[in-house]
Order: sequence, then structure tokens, then C-alpha cells
Amino acid sequence: MALADLLAPDAVIPALKANSKKQLLQELASKAAQITGLTEREIFEVILQRERLGSTGVGNGIAIPHGKLTTLPGIVGVFARLDQPIDFEALDDQPVDLVFLLLAPEGAGADHLKALSRIARVLRDQDTVAKLRASDQASAIYTFLTQDEASNAA
Amino acid sequence: MMLEAMYLVILIGTLLVLISAFSSLLAFRFGAPLLLLFLCIGLAAGVDGLGINFSNASAAYFIGSLALAIILFDSGFGTSIQSFRQAAAPAIALATIGVVLTTLFFALAARFVFDFGWLEALLFGAIVGSTDAAAVFFLLRIGGINIRDKVRSTLEIESSSNDPMAIFLTITLVQLIANGTPLSEMGVDLLISFGLQMGVGLLAGFIGGMIIVSLVNRLNLERGLTPIFVIALSLLVFSATGVAGGSGFLAVYVAGLYAGNRQIRSAPTLKRFQDGMTWLAQILMFLLLGLLATPSQFPAIAVPAIAMAVFLIFIARPLAVWLTLLPFDYKREETAFVSWVGLRGAVSILLAILPLLGNLENATTFFNAAFIIVLVSLIVQGWTINPLARRLGLVVPARIGPVDKVELELPGTALHELLAYRVVPDSPVATGERIPRWARPSLVIRDGKSMRYQYAGRLQAGDYVYLFISSRYPRLLDRLFASPLPVQSDDAEFFGEFSIDPQRPAKDLHAAYDIGLAKDELELSIDALLTKRLGGKAEFGDRVVLKNVEIIVRDVDDQGRITSAGLSLDPDSNRPNIPVFLSAREIAAHLRQRVKRRQPPPKTPLGPPPSSLAPATDSTDDQEPQPAPGEKQSASD
Repeated sequence: MALADLLAPDAVIPALKANSKKQLLQELASKAAQITGLTEREIFEVILQRERLGSTGVGNGIAIPHGKLTTLPGIVGVFARLDQPIDFEALDDQPVDLVFLLLAPEGAGADHLKALSRIARVLRDQDTVAKLRASDQASAIYTFLTQDEASNAA
Repeated sequence: MMLEAMYLVILIGTLLVLISAFSSLLAFRFGAPLLLLFLCIGLAAGVDGLGINFSNASAAYFIGSLALAIILFDSGFGTSIQSFRQAAAPAIALATIGVVLTTLFFALAARFVFDFGWLEALLFGAIVGSTDAAAVFFLLRIGGINIRDKVRSTLEIESSSNDPMAIFLTITLVQLIANGTPLSEMGVDLLISFGLQMGVGLLAGFIGGMIIVSLVNRLNLERGLTPIFVIALSLLVFSATGVAGGSGFLAVYVAGLYAGNRQIRSAPTLKRFQDGMTWLAQILMFLLLGLLATPSQFPAIAVPAIAMAVFLIFIARPLAVWLTLLPFDYKREETAFVSWVGLRGAVSILLAILPLLGNLENATTFFNAAFIIVLVSLIVQGWTINPLARRLGLVVPARIGPVDKVELELPGTALHELLAYRVVPDSPVATGERIPRWARPSLVIRDGKSMRYQYAGRLQAGDYVYLFISSRYPRLLDRLFASPLPVQSDDAEFFGEFSIDPQRPAKDLHAAYDIGLAKDELELSIDALLTKRLGGKAEFGDRVVLKNVEIIVRDVDDQGRITSAGLSLDPDSNRPNIPVFLSAREIAAHLRQRVKRRQPPPKTPLGPPPSSLAPATDSTDDQEPQPAPGEKQSASD
């Protein structure tokens, strides 16, 4: 499962401005709505529902919100780099500034989890994360996220 | 002349002890089993090395027994009743049934390898039947790793309570052989004598513990005398029980366990003193046993002895542990680890002196072979415990960061103590968390000036805070003063990538990850679901596989409720799949499956070897893989 398969170049938001976790999730949902043609509302509901189960902030300023939607044709990702870190109720209480949203169709099962695990692994790499933080160009960010794939693929 | 000899003996003795103490520096650095070093120093100084000729077996046995009593008292004293409760049943099963089984299996092989009679083979088995408390404690604690509570407690309690069993068996067998009584005539007497030894030992231990606690708390002894008083009392318990026909070793352990878990005056001083005494006892015991041995006799017996050591490590102990732990539902990696940490040590060598004292025919063979077995066990198992624990996923990341704390003893009361914490940067108190009232923060020292807590305002890094507190303070306080733990990649692997609120309903989790729940389980909270799957009791670090994800217990409160949980996306992908050590539940599930698949049900052999029951992982046999509960085919990507 390569990140290039689930993240389109235009699904990267290089310098998102958000003041709260809720606003951030809304922005992500709206971007995802543009890509998938679903409504922002239903996407937002699904990821909010997942956040109620526990924050998807994984520490070190990174969050990976995710959820499943019945009408989605395939696995879709949106990546955002925030201008200013915001509180995401993460486990280590660090404010979050790198966010990867992952949406999967209802029947995706193991693929959904594999994709999530892949994203978590890429974003655990200190070098990649430093590069992502240092850049505010969508194309550069897209390259960092997907090129790491080529060198790291097992 | 007399005086000169005395000085010489003391000089040599102290030098040896000093060298041993000094070698601990090396041991910590290289992770070598320290006790092995002590033993080797004794060997090197002995008759075949520097030439110290010490061959007084009865003196060695006498001093060794005293040392063992001191060690056992301290290990009881240091065992908290919580960890005792957690692991008492399996540990005591291992300490009794386990020792007997190990002895039997070992004897079966020894009979043929050494051409012994049955009684002699059994005696040999009993000599190496128990695990060594000193070695187990040292290697589980000092390695700088945190082994899972349940497994650690099981091993520690097993190792400190199985000596009485092995000692009883050995003494009984030596007497039988010396008197020439056949085993068949002894049956009932043996049981009675066993019951008497252990019964009197237990009872005397309890009473002794009570006496120790009440005397220490009641008498206003000189502070410096208290630890001496306690040690002397413990030896009194040991010897009086022995005189009364009970097991002194069991009594002294029980007395320690009792005293260590009561409010006892100057407990910190006692702990420190006993810690020192235990070190001294260990050094003396290993040095002396090393001195007593004659390594030039080893080669003659090395091959069969090493063969027996290998048999003990790889077959007798694992088989005995597996059978003993069957009813306790241990996970395979836990059983594997428990059977690997079957370190033999000083007690085995000590017991090997008994045949010498009883003038048995093959006494030297017993002693030398036991010595070699201990060496092999310390080298092979002692050196591999840490890596194995990591590989099996039994190492728990530290729960809180380092704490800078001093405990001060207060005169006149057993119930309170004064704690001094240094405030470390970014600890919860330094970032504005308040100290609870019950902790009675009394004094703050900042930049060398003292002030009352009420006027100190927000605590700053570098402050010292003095708290006057009941000596049973909860962990919470440490947590408040701990430096933050950075989230490490290891932690993500251990705790899972995402956090899950255990109070939420399980059906939300099911909706998000499709975890294959049964209908009735959908109604539960996640906490209840996990607790149910874990068999009623959740412990920090427990893992539950739910279809494609794994939920990990990140924290449990005092009532055993899960307060925090994590979700891992690739369950057990890096865990080794151990083909043996199935628990009774797994075997039952496996048999059910077999019966279901083939109608009419095939005859299931009784007590089949464990390997034949394992899911076919790397065998060529084309059976469908059968996922046993709690086990998932490792998914590689």
C-alpha cells in the first residue's frame, strides 16, 4: 500500500489556518468533499464520531483522523500542514500541526487498516516529519510524503 | 603463630569479598550474571587456582544455609503482598508440583546418562530442582528492563519459595539412600513428613513475622540496633522452626513476607540494611562454594553433566512449567519465558554438599555435576534473559519518567515519612498541577531559601518540595513529580498507535474498525469487553486481538477498571509465533475444532506432545492453519 495510491497531489493543503480541532476537521472534511463528491457534513460526522472514541493524535504533533463511509468508491487521503499548531487532545498533550485524514469505503476491511498503519509508519520517521514541517509548498510536501515510500517500501 | 594465621585468613577473605564487590561494576557494564562472577572468583582462588585449600564441606553447608536464610528473609521482605496475590497460585504450583515434575523428568534422563539407581537419579534431580532466588531477582531487576508484572511476580515468588521443596526432597532422599530404605516402604511416612515440614514452617513463619513486627514497633530500640535485631530474630525463626521439625527456610521466607507488608518502624533503614546483608550473603555463599569445588575434577564428568544441563534447560524445565501452568491460562510467550528463567544457582550447589555430608557413594559426582549444571545455566540462561524478554514482547515501557526523590525517616512513628522531591522541568507540578491536600506539602526550598508551600506560589524547576505523608502513599505522587516521557516508536509498538477511551460503547469501536463482535458484546462498554475477553481481570500492558486490530490496556485504576487503552493496527506482526506451550484453553479450543472438522471424532491421544498440537506454522504438513484464540497468523506486508 503506497501513499501515492491514496493521496492525490491536489489533496495536500500546505499551510492550513485553523483555530480549533473542530475547525480543522471541518476544513479537512470540506477538502475531502471536493475530491470525493460526498457532502462535507457526512464526512465531518464520521470523523467526529471516531474522535469521540479517543483522539487520533498519535504524538509528536501528528494526527491521523479517519473513518469509514458507505458510498465512497475507494480509499482517499487528505494531508494538511498547519500554519499554527492547535490542541488536538493528543496523548502527549503536544499541539498538532501535521494531519493526515484517511477515509475508506465500508467494505475496505484490512486495506483500510493497512493504509492507516502505513501512514503512521511514514509519519513516525523523524526526517520526513522535519522536512514536512519546513516546507509550505504543496508539491514539495507531496513529494516528501510519497518519495519516502519508494525508499522505505518493504 | 595463631595470630598471624588469623590475620592471613582475614586478609584473604576480605580481599576476595572486595574483588567480588568490585566485579559488580563490570557485571553491570557487561550485563553478565554477577553471581557467575562471584562463583568464578571463588573457583579462581581455590585449590586449582591460587591454591587456597578449602575442603570443609560441613562448614560450607553451615555458612551457606545461614546465608540462604538471610537471602530468603530479605526476598520475602521485599515482596509486596499485591504482587504476591497476583501470582501466588501459579507460583506456588511451580514451587511445589513444578519442582517435583522437574525432579522426575530430570531423574528419568539422569538414570541413563549417569547409570544411577532410581533413588540416586531422583536425588540428583532434587538437587537441581529449584531455581535460584538470587539469580532470578538480580537478572529480572538489574537489566534495566521492566518485565510484565504477572510474569515477574510469578518468577520471583517461585524462585524464593521453591527452595524449601527442593531442600526437603534432597534431605529425604539422602537419608533414604544412606539408610538403604527402599522407596516403596516410605510412601505414607514421606507424605506425613512433608506435611509436617511445610505446615510447621508456614505456621512458625507467620507467628515469627508477627513477633518481629510487634517487637520492633513496641520496643524503643536504639536506631542502629533495629536492623541487627530484626536479622537476629529472623535467624531465630529459622533455627527454632528447624529444631521443631519444620522447614526453617519456608518459615524465614514467610516471616519476611509478613513483616515486609506490615507497618514496621524504620522500614527504609531495614530495607537498606537487609539489601546489604543479602549482597554479603550472596557473595559469601558463591565464593565459598567456588572455593569448595575442585575444577580439575570437572573434565572427567563434563560431557554427561553438560548433556544433563541441556536436558534440564530445554526439556525438563519447559515440560514441567508447561504442565504446571496448564490450568492458569498463561499466554505461550509467558510460559516460554517462565520456563527459560529457570536459573539454577547457589542452592543447587549447596544441596549437592548434602550427599558429601551423608557419605554417599557417588557424592563427588553429584557435587561436580551439579556445579557444572549451575555454571551452564547461569551462562546460557543468565545471559539471554533480556533479549528473550524483548523478543517475546514481555518488556513493559516505563510508566513514568525518572523521579528525583529522597525518603527521610521520622523518629517516633511508623506511619509517616517525610519525602523530598526535586521539581524537574516539565513535570506536571512544574507546569501548574496542584499537589493534593493529603500529601501535606509543607516546605519549599528555592534558591537555598526555605518557604512555606502556601506562599511559594507556582513550583519551579529546581525547587525542593518536602511532603509529610503516610508511608503508604499512592503512586500518584510520583507521577506528579516525574519528568515527561517522550513518546517513542517502541511505545507506539507497545501501546498501539491510537488511543481509545475505554468508557465508550464497544459498538462504536466495531463501527470504526469492524472488529467482529458477537451480538451481546455490542452492548458492552469497551472496558467491559476487554475485561471479559481477558478473563475477568485486566492488567497494564494486556493485549486483546479483535479481528484485524489489537487493543492494549494502557492503564488500570485501583479497582481494576481500564482507564486508558490503545489501538494497534498490526497485531503481533513482530511477535514470534511459539509452536509449543499451549494453555489448557487453547488445547480445548483446538480439540473442539478437530472434532468438529472430522466426523466421527478421531481418537484423541492422551497427553500428546505439545508440538503436535501446535498450528502448523513451518511444518510441511498441509493442514489448514488453525488460528487458536489470541493468536493470529502473522501478517507480513
